Amino acid sequence: MELTREIYWNVGHSVMIPMYLLVTAAFSVLVWGLRKRLATYRLGQALERCDRRNERLSGVLRDIFLQARVLRVKGAGTAHGLFFFGFVLLTIGTTLVFVQADVLDPLFGLRFLTGNFYLFFSIVLDIAGLVAIIMLLGLAVRRYLLRPKDLPTVGDNALMLGLLLAILFTGFLLEGARMAATELGTDLSWWSPVGLFFAQPFAGLSEAAQRSIHSGLWWFHFALVLGFFCAIPFTRLRHLLLTPANIFFRDLGPTGKLTTLDLEDEEAESFGASKVSDLFWKDIFDADACTYCKRCQDRCPAWNTDKPLSPMKLINQIGEVSFSNPEANLIETITTDVLWSCTTCRACQEICPAAIEHVPKIIEMRRNLVLMEGEFPGEEVTKAMENSEVNGNPLGMAPATRADWAEELRAEGIKIADLAAGETAEILYFVGCYASFDKRNQKIAKSFIKLCSAAGVTVGILGKEEKCCGEPMRKLGNEYLYQMLAAENIEQIQASGVKRIVSACPHCFNTLSKDYVDLGLELPVEHANSFLAKLLQSGQLKLKQAPIDCTYHDSCYLGRHNDLYEAPRQLLKAAGAYLHEMEKSRQESFCCSAGGGRILAEEKIGERMNQKRAKMAAETGAPILVSSCPFCMSMFEDGIKGADLDEQLKPLDLLEVLAERIG
Amino acid sequence: MNILVCIKQVPDMESRFKVAASGTWFEESDLAWRINEYDEFAIEQAVQLKTEVSGADLTVLSIGPARVKEALKKALAMGCDRAVNLVDEAAHEKDSFQIASAIAAFAKEKNFDLIFTGMQSQDRGSGQVGVLVAEMLGIPALTTAVEFAYADNSVTVRRELEGGLRAAIKASTPALVSCQLGLNTPRYPTLPNIMKAKRKEMLEIPVADLLKEEARLTTLSLAYPEKKGSAQILEGDVADLVDQVIGILKEKTAVL
Repeated sequence: MELTREIYWNVGHSVMIPMYLLVTAAFSVLVWGLRKRLATYRLGQALERCDRRNERLSGVLRDIFLQARVLRVKGAGTAHGLFFFGFVLLTIGTTLVFVQADVLDPLFGLRFLTGNFYLFFSIVLDIAGLVAIIMLLGLAVRRYLLRPKDLPTVGDNALMLGLLLAILFTGFLLEGARMAATELGTDLSWWSPVGLFFAQPFAGLSEAAQRSIHSGLWWFHFALVLGFFCAIPFTRLRHLLLTPANIFFRDLGPTGKLTTLDLEDEEAESFGASKVSDLFWKDIFDADACTYCKRCQDRCPAWNTDKPLSPMKLINQIGEVSFSNPEANLIETITTDVLWSCTTCRACQEICPAAIEHVPKIIEMRRNLVLMEGEFPGEEVTKAMENSEVNGNPLGMAPATRADWAEELRAEGIKIADLAAGETAEILYFVGCYASFDKRNQKIAKSFIKLCSAAGVTVGILGKEEKCCGEPMRKLGNEYLYQMLAAENIEQIQASGVKRIVSACPHCFNTLSKDYVDLGLELPVEHANSFLAKLLQSGQLKLKQAPIDCTYHDSCYLGRHNDLYEAPRQLLKAAGAYLHEMEKSRQESFCCSAGGGRILAEEKIGERMNQKRAKMAAETGAPILVSSCPFCMSMFEDGIKGADLDEQLKPLDLLEVLAERIG
Repeated sequence: MNILVCIKQVPDMESRFKVAASGTWFEESDLAWRINEYDEFAIEQAVQLKTEVSGADLTVLSIGPARVKEALKKALAMGCDRAVNLVDEAAHEKDSFQIASAIAAFAKEKNFDLIFTGMQSQDRGSGQVGVLVAEMLGIPALTTAVEFAYADNSVTVRRELEGGLRAAIKASTPALVSCQLGLNTPRYPTLPNIMKAKRKEMLEIPVADLLKEEARLTTLSLAYPEKKGSAQILEGDVADLVDQVIGILKEKTAVL
């Protein structure tokens, strides 16, 4: 017996003409449906997202064909991944059938689905189909029986699951009917084990009955497949095409870098986004690529502390407004409480399997509120903005006292160069407002100086000429104030002639290293952690090991924004620390609440984020909570007290731990 | 309607003040400057009135050296139509009578229907300028306003009195209103208004052109008060603390 099967068995080659006509019609519906959406994407502003094509395509390969982003979440992600691989194999199988039956065989009499290759082909497709069915059933059980909290389920979900299951089941029944008539009892049948199972009900029937059932099933299966194509543009099935496209169009970084507004643009009538047409086309496309998987919402620190912000809902609201009422005011639809709740921690973007960019949209709408309406989340924020304009820091402290913390060290004989006064040093330490003025955080600044001094690195500061880096203002939408502060800092830095900048504040570090580039600063900027880790490696910095039990909080602007996960852990290890990791660490770290300018705002809605994080730290049993950020330090000082954990947990900055262990 | 709002640029009160060598004022180095808080209420009220009354024209005035232009720019960004800087390098040496005289001389021929000022300045705090200007122009002064209303050429102002009382007073325009905390929440200028402000008129008039009066007051000296009696923090058991408190009360007061 020849190891193959007859393609178009029973239905005959005469179905080709109606089949191709119907397939063409279905594809036309698909293309028409997608083209209709194109007009809505075009409402957005222009944005280049087709450059660096190889990099973009390799991302599509990794994140779609290897499902790298999807597989990051166990359970539903694994099931989707396995279903996807099964589905792709079936698609490849169907394509091979098409190539042989409709192209090579009729034109050249060439058949390759024979022999051992056919056996391999047959068993792989059977298993692929089975895996796909099991995964779909698992996903259906999850969605409809286990019902994960806040998972948005609409009619589309039932349609998608039902349609895909029906296609797979009718496929196997079809195979079963054919096998009952042609393969039962042969060795060949063992190479289609699932088909063999489905052949059993048809085994006792006459061949005529088998043939008529097969014929009916063939057309039914075919109709379902046509329905599937037609449904793509009109249901959540569109993610099949749009999510891969969105991966291609993704932001290639630098991570989290915002667009710098041209504030001198005489023709600009409006700044920020209040309408769909103020956004970029990619912002609208993002909404269409969303798969409603709620991974962003699951991780959003605002959502998890009972604030009204869900990154997923926000994206979908933008989509709804874009497609149903594009003239509507986006901010009114989304509401200001939602927009002000974001800490820009990037947990949503980090995990999104569709590479959706949530944070920049929120910032654009905040920009509109601030620059066009003069609106802030509270009077305390307006006051902080005014303080920054007048004093160069949001705390309202006298600028002349900015470097007072350094005097104590200078009195001890440690040299700290005043770069603004013409002195020189190897590095400029950009101190930041909190380490400059806040008593608790001044210890971080002093620790950094001591560590550099021990490593023989000369450090300079801008002293009273340093201004706030502008990060909290920028993230709250006050691009004008940010650019004013940045320009003053850049002028001072350039005048100082310094060649390298180090900051121990992740917010200053991120702003100086990424955002200031657009305003003309092009010096290398490092965070203290990576800077010190290098000094440690080179042997310039020597540490004594002294045991300490601690847990480490990954600051959002060190971790997710800058991928600095290892340096702090290396330093802790060198200091002799035993690290108890929190469940939410590294990429999954939970924001302290201070990001996105929220450090200047009162947290009026829901549970206190810093207390929630303090509780997570306490659950590790470690008595010390180490972080690497002055903002986090301020939040944990409060959060630990607020959560009544001050007996069991103490916050320390990594630099304080290290400074106590200078060898 | 013609409106004038008079503002002063003052140092941020968090600044580290040092007495100047003259011994009569503070050194200006290392200070951060801002609009006097009460004057911000005055600007806000004037801008609100301007938007209520059609065809109103709003001038903002400040006396001082070139740095006061920053304060004037902010007032323009908040919604004033034009700014006037009575340029005076030694404004801090002038007494309230001279400052008021200069303003009155500027305002005399301009027929302002309403003049807004802050209740007092945060740095000198004499609280005289507004009242003196009104007197020199022969118009009523409604001081320390916490509520303001304008209708048909008359202004109604509510004033906060001691003991939580509020008085309502009324006057016909032209009039002068001095503004107190609680009157309003000054707006944060929007970016388009900041940009527009850059193109608005900024008039400079040397103060000598307007001021012909001599000072009537002389500042003799400026100094930090001597440190007297400081807080005492008691520590220990509650029982001990109670004894200590009773001891101190007996020793230093007559309450027991």
